[in-house]
Amino acid sequence: MFSAPDSYPIDLPTFHSRIDLPYTLTPGKAAGTFLAEVKNQRIIGSRFASGRVVAPAQDFSSIDGEEPEAFVEAPHTGVITAFTRVDGNVIGFIKLDGCDNEFPHKVLADMADVSIGLRVKAEWDPGVEQSVLAIKGFVPAPDAPTGEVKPVVATEDALGVIPYEMKLDFYHAYGPYYGRMFDEIKENGRIMGVRQPGIDSALLPPREIDDISHKRTGTWKACADTGTIRACSIINMDVYGVTRKVPYVYAEIVLDGASTRMIHVIEIDSLEEAKEKIKPGTRVRAVWAEGERQGRVSDIARFEVIEA
Amino acid sequence: MSRHVGIVGVGQTHHSRRRTDVSQAGLVREAVDRALADAKLSMDDIDTVVVATGPVLFAAVNQPEKWVVDAIGAQNKSVVRLTSGGGAGFAGALAGYYQVAGGFSERTLVVAYDKLSEGQLQYSISTLYDPFWGREFAVGIMGFSAAYWRARMDALGHTEEAAAMVAAKNRNNAIANPYAHQKKQVTVEDVLNSKPLCWPIKLLDVPPISDGAAAIVLASEKVAHHSTGRPAWIRGMAYCCEADNAAERSLMLSEPLAIASRHVYRAAGITNPRRQFDVVEVQEPYSCFELNYYESLGLCAPGEAAELIASGATQLDGDIPVNPSGGCMGANPIGAVGVIRLIEAATQVMGRNETHQIKDAKTALVQSGGGWANLRGCAVLSA
Repeated sequence: MFSAPDSYPIDLPTFHSRIDLPYTLTPGKAAGTFLAEVKNQRIIGSRFASGRVVAPAQDFSSIDGEEPEAFVEAPHTGVITAFTRVDGNVIGFIKLDGCDNEFPHKVLADMADVSIGLRVKAEWDPGVEQSVLAIKGFVPAPDAPTGEVKPVVATEDALGVIPYEMKLDFYHAYGPYYGRMFDEIKENGRIMGVRQPGIDSALLPPREIDDISHKRTGTWKACADTGTIRACSIINMDVYGVTRKVPYVYAEIVLDGASTRMIHVIEIDSLEEAKEKIKPGTRVRAVWAEGERQGRVSDIARFEVIEA
Repeated sequence: MSRHVGIVGVGQTHHSRRRTDVSQAGLVREAVDRALADAKLSMDDIDTVVVATGPVLFAAVNQPEKWVVDAIGAQNKSVVRLTSGGGAGFAGALAGYYQVAGGFSERTLVVAYDKLSEGQLQYSISTLYDPFWGREFAVGIMGFSAAYWRARMDALGHTEEAAAMVAAKNRNNAIANPYAHQKKQVTVEDVLNSKPLCWPIKLLDVPPISDGAAAIVLASEKVAHHSTGRPAWIRGMAYCCEADNAAERSLMLSEPLAIASRHVYRAAGITNPRRQFDVVEVQEPYSCFELNYYESLGLCAPGEAAELIASGATQLDGDIPVNPSGGCMGANPIGAVGVIRLIEAATQVMGRNETHQIKDAKTALVQSGGGWANLRGCAVLSA
């Protein structure tokens, strides 16, 4: 492998990938009730048999796992027990009056005006429901009287589902093997692997160590852009994140000159026809995408069957 | 010399397509309460805890064990969290087995779960693919599994009819399972005529998507009798893996499962699996997988799986019933499935299976794993 001193930054291009997922999270009874009640500007907490009160409400005691004996309404006032500043916002731990826990939230004040023990009160955002952000934050309220935990008779039904989304961006390092392979695809439109130790056929994608013999791999070799299907299925359902029109063929293809497979697609007109025509052993060729190559597998737009 | 380890208490949730009344942690709590009650124990009696789940992306909670520990009252105990794709629950049980067998714990609680209603299952699985090389064309595990099933049709004769027989058997067995949520009688023809999703995989070859949790208590020989007079002893247990894009790997047979079963059979004194096992529980993410397990587990020779299912031998009244519980076809909370299969097999040899007790079952085989062929394990249980 290429090596470099630790002190020497290596800033090569990276491969961007994004994982983008919607969720329907289930908060459970306690958090679900808390989230349902914020539109009424009530802070619902849990009271356990020991007399301990926790707000926002929890389904299980963090001391012993016991379930609460009742929901209670916590006051809107409390004290700051810790704080810091993130991106210009002050974030504090808030201990509501009469409660035994602290929870993090925004402190709507300048850092210089915040101190441990500062009394605060909730400021609500009437435009927000079903989120802890219905409390916009906590504002200093040095003279606020000490609030009390009150029993609640009835609550809104707990929310069963909370929509949520996660977008995660990753910047993967290519490393020397993938780096050269994608450079070759981009610059020369050819797919290069490395030979298995002592054997002419190439491993695709290229790698430093052979998976079976655990020996160092050999020299570089250009594979053809024709090959043979090793395994294939006909995709005929909508899957989140897949935009290609169905039906089409998902194929694992061993390119001529290679010993391992690449994953790609074959366009088809009909499912029934494809069942007969496209199978393990079928010969295929790459159809390169039009326009400038990007240095990705998708520079090959698709594969097509080589008619006998 | 390692110590004997028994399963002395079991518990699972009533699995469901979507549980909106409990959080992930609440789901886990239900299974743990049932397992502890079954073992006549409280959390105070437990030395160590293993929490197993599928990939974090399934339900968007990283390090869920921190949440789970509070919900089950396991604060300050030794906790290990384990994930290994579809085999997560089984791998978690193996970690627990090692702890007790190695003398580091007298009683270990293993709890496994997934709450699949919360995320995007196939998309999440697609992120297991190499981001540079294949992920942009991935269709979860379904596209891949269907492709290699297609290849096995030619190489091993795993026909659509054979897989449909597996699907119909398991679906019909699941009807009596009190914990299953997909319970509808189907025929082989129904399966064959169902909509192709990733052909050759069709709608009825595919298990449901489920929310569910399962827990077992593992105990040493020294303390097992406090919970039950008839533990399900683990006679052997292994979990192996392989690279999935190496040269010389055809993915036709599962080499890791063959290696794991050889190892486990040697430990358990199994020389003729077809004759010695009274009942088998396998994790079949799609019906076609079960055919391959018959071969890799030595219930028949490679290429004979279609004949084995057609012979009726793996039906409830056959000589080697496979998945009397209904397997994944009744419920499939992926991360929990390895533990569910262990529970179904354990209760068989304990003589108290709630779905279909196989008469006089003494020795059971359990298989579990993740991926198409590359993460595979099995265990032998006996009374």
